[in-house]
Amino acid sequence: MKVSYENNAIKSGGFDFGVISINDPWNSERIAYYDGIIIDGVNDDFVRNLVVRIRSHHRSEVYLKPIFLLKNVSIKDPIINELIDGVVFSLDQVEFVVERTKDISLKVKEILEVKSLSFEAEMINKTINLLVTRDKKQMQAFPYIRSGIGYFYPELSINFAREDESNVLKILEMGEDDGLFTSSFNDRLYLCTNCNGGFLNYREVCPQCSSSHSTTEDMVHHFPCAYIGPMKDFQNTIDDELNCPKCNKTLRHIGVDYDKPSELHTCQKCNHKYQDYHVRAKCISCHHDNYIENLIPKEIKNYTLTRKGRSVAYNGYVSTTRDFDEVPGTVKYDVFKIMLKYEIERLRQNDYTSNIGFMHLANAGEIYSRLGLERQKSLIAEMIGILRHNLRSADFIAFYDASTLVLSLNEIPTKIANKILNDIASLTISLMKRNFKTVEVQIKTNAIKLTTEISHELQLQNLVRTIDRTPQNIEKDSEENE
Amino acid sequence: MIEAISIEIDNFLNYISEVGISKLFRIFWFFFMFELFRYLIVDMLALIMIKIKRVFTKKYRDEARRRFLQEQPLISILVPGKNEGKHIFKLANSLREQTYQNFELIIVDDGSDDNTEEICRSLKRNGLIDIFIRNEVRGGKASGANTALRLASGKYVVHLDADCSYDMDAIEQIIIPFYEDERVGAVGGNVMVRNYKESLATTLQGFEYSDAISIGRMVSSYLGIYKIISGAFGAFRMDVLRNIKGWDIGPGLDGDITVKYRKLGYRIVFEDRAVCQTSVPNTFRKLAKQRLRWDKSLIRFRLRKHKDVMLPSENFNLLNFLSFAENITYTLILNIKWYVYVFDVFFNFSGMIWVILLMNFFLYTMTNYFKLIFFNFFRERKNAPFSYFIPFAPLMVFYHGYFLRFVRTISYIKEIFFKASYEDAWNPEKTSLKAKEIGI
Ligand SMILES: [Zn+2]
Ligand SMILES: [Zn+2]
Ligand SMILES: [Zn+2]
Repeated sequence: MKVSYENNAIKSGGFDFGVISINDPWNSERIAYYDGIIIDGVNDDFVRNLVVRIRSHHRSEVYLKPIFLLKNVSIKDPIINELIDGVVFSLDQVEFVVERTKDISLKVKEILEVKSLSFEAEMINKTINLLVTRDKKQMQAFPYIRSGIGYFYPELSINFAREDESNVLKILEMGEDDGLFTSSFNDRLYLCTNCNGGFLNYREVCPQCSSSHSTTEDMVHHFPCAYIGPMKDFQNTIDDELNCPKCNKTLRHIGVDYDKPSELHTCQKCNHKYQDYHVRAKCISCHHDNYIENLIPKEIKNYTLTRKGRSVAYNGYVSTTRDFDEVPGTVKYDVFKIMLKYEIERLRQNDYTSNIGFMHLANAGEIYSRLGLERQKSLIAEMIGILRHNLRSADFIAFYDASTLVLSLNEIPTKIANKILNDIASLTISLMKRNFKTVEVQIKTNAIKLTTEISHELQLQNLVRTIDRTPQNIEKDSEENE
Repeated sequence: MIEAISIEIDNFLNYISEVGISKLFRIFWFFFMFELFRYLIVDMLALIMIKIKRVFTKKYRDEARRRFLQEQPLISILVPGKNEGKHIFKLANSLREQTYQNFELIIVDDGSDDNTEEICRSLKRNGLIDIFIRNEVRGGKASGANTALRLASGKYVVHLDADCSYDMDAIEQIIIPFYEDERVGAVGGNVMVRNYKESLATTLQGFEYSDAISIGRMVSSYLGIYKIISGAFGAFRMDVLRNIKGWDIGPGLDGDITVKYRKLGYRIVFEDRAVCQTSVPNTFRKLAKQRLRWDKSLIRFRLRKHKDVMLPSENFNLLNFLSFAENITYTLILNIKWYVYVFDVFFNFSGMIWVILLMNFFLYTMTNYFKLIFFNFFRERKNAPFSYFIPFAPLMVFYHGYFLRFVRTISYIKEIFFKASYEDAWNPEKTSLKAKEIGI
């Protein structure tokens, strides 16, 4: 097989492999472009970060990409091993992964990409797509030091920031309820009541002041004189003998002339003496000291894809049974595309500028986990309310996916369109700040000019590709508000 | 029968009138010499003196109380015990009613095998107990009390029994004596019988507690020879208790610790106004068992362990000697003397034995009635109306004269000749073995 290597890319067996090494900047376009990615695995952290970034990307051209690792020694991180598709020890060996690349690419082509309004549905979709294209049926929970809850489902948990990871369990439960997975028991887990974190430090604390700073002593009972006191009372400075401070006799034989009937803790903070210590679980992430009886119990399960679950990859999975159906003020994405087609037709006959734009919630996963489903719904409803209020009725809005709205901005210059979007974004951010104090909303916006040259589908794709490149909006009028 | 008795009494009275008063004294020497003198005349005189003293020192006591309440010292209430869980809730709750509230309640569970631990842990969680310690293996009452002592941080220690209940001012009353006289090292509370109506046995004990024990202690406290602070209710100066390193192993540890205080030169007083109520054994069999244990301690602690009090030494103290001597005389020696008396009567007056018994009964009954009525004027707090005991005064003759005396005799014999207290199940075997070995 012919192998050629130039411009950090290798051709083999008709496939283009991009080689990414530690100095290359992140570029999702480049990753989407190649048939497979080879990561130069000199540095474990670099490898991990890159794999996570690719697999958690929102575009299927990126997250489904075959990834191979170029490395002499195998990587120890079990999650990374789950998420890559193979290892090559040198670039000469790239031909050995051609078959695998071919196999995955074929399966990726069969995947039907549907965009869902539901965050959960989108996550389930992504996960199942990854599993099906890799011929995996099982999704196992790995005990994982980098996981926020302690257990990691590689294909799904990768999409969440550490502090939001507990949502994984909710989403999997939802998937199981909808018949996409069956489950078997793996382990039991307790989570922080404050942040759902799984890294808890269990320790005995003083029942009076909850301090964990205590000393523990065995109480010694000297039978002949009924003296009770800690062992140190019996020690002397002269020799190793243990002498009773009350009757001066030497301790000889436990059970015969003395015993240790109890153990006593002394709090070093409040000096309380106690036996019945409380156990508290301090969360390493948020420092909340949990009463253990309040910890959130969770069952960790291993999941197996059902036939129905598999079919999600081919038929799409638009919403979970728990989702909302439609959001007032928006049109369906299909309708949006048709309208867009008409607008391009109109542009051919008229001389004005029309645009398409997006509004993207950059931290949808976080918002989802902080607000929960119900409040997230109302957040989206509010966002659309703001949009509708600031756009003309002729402009239409649709969900591209659960975190991205696409909209048309007709008959205005692109610059103005961008300014409008920007203003709406910062207005939204400050409004959200007022209503949902716990969360900071991060919004990206961009508008591009519609052309008559290429199809509406392609133009939409181009628009969405700019999401990665677009910087976040900042709240412009924050000074006025505070 | 009655006719026969009346004839006998007639004969007897004739006999007395013939032989004269000196002969009467000859026949009832035991009664006149010991019982009447010590338990009636001395008591009466002492009680009158106490009454007078109280009138004149009332201001002084009020001042002591004021200083005590102003200082608000922390009182450590120690309650060691085994399988007392069922009583602890009631006790902890009743302590909330106390007029004096600056106390810490320390419960020691000495190896209970019931649900005591659970009960106490939950009481502690709910703030009714301040410190709770469980000893997994039983160590005996003294080690339980010493465990509690180890954790206590008060200025005074009050030792309580879990199954007792307390007047709402009991804690206050038992601490005041420390402020009346700084030489006071320990104060004994006044124990009354809660279940005096339950059975004949408890009624007679009720009678005994309110007359012989309570009044007896008032008198001996006044005379400076008060010796036993009841484990059910006693208060101790913490510094002294720490100094002597707590209680020694029982039984009789209540009496033992007061001896130690006395040896150090502290006064031990009885406070009749600090009242505690307890349930006493409700059958004579259980009562006999309890008294056997108590009585053995006299031999063990007075004659064996603390015999030095009786001997001349640099620490010799007349009051301590008298306290001991009185105790030994009126319990051990008198017990022996009584048998001498019985022999005397049998051999020298065998013809009149029935008459003498009857007469004895009559004399004692009359004394009991007299005491019942007379003492009543000196009791500041009583839990039963004295009228309740009126029908039982004659029975007390048998109770004191025969039942208790018989039990005492048995226990002295057992202890003197067999050191029986070391086999007492009241202490765990391991501690008794050790104690016997080293002779305490
Ligand atoms: Zn936390
Ligand atoms: Zn503490
Ligand atoms: Zn010792």
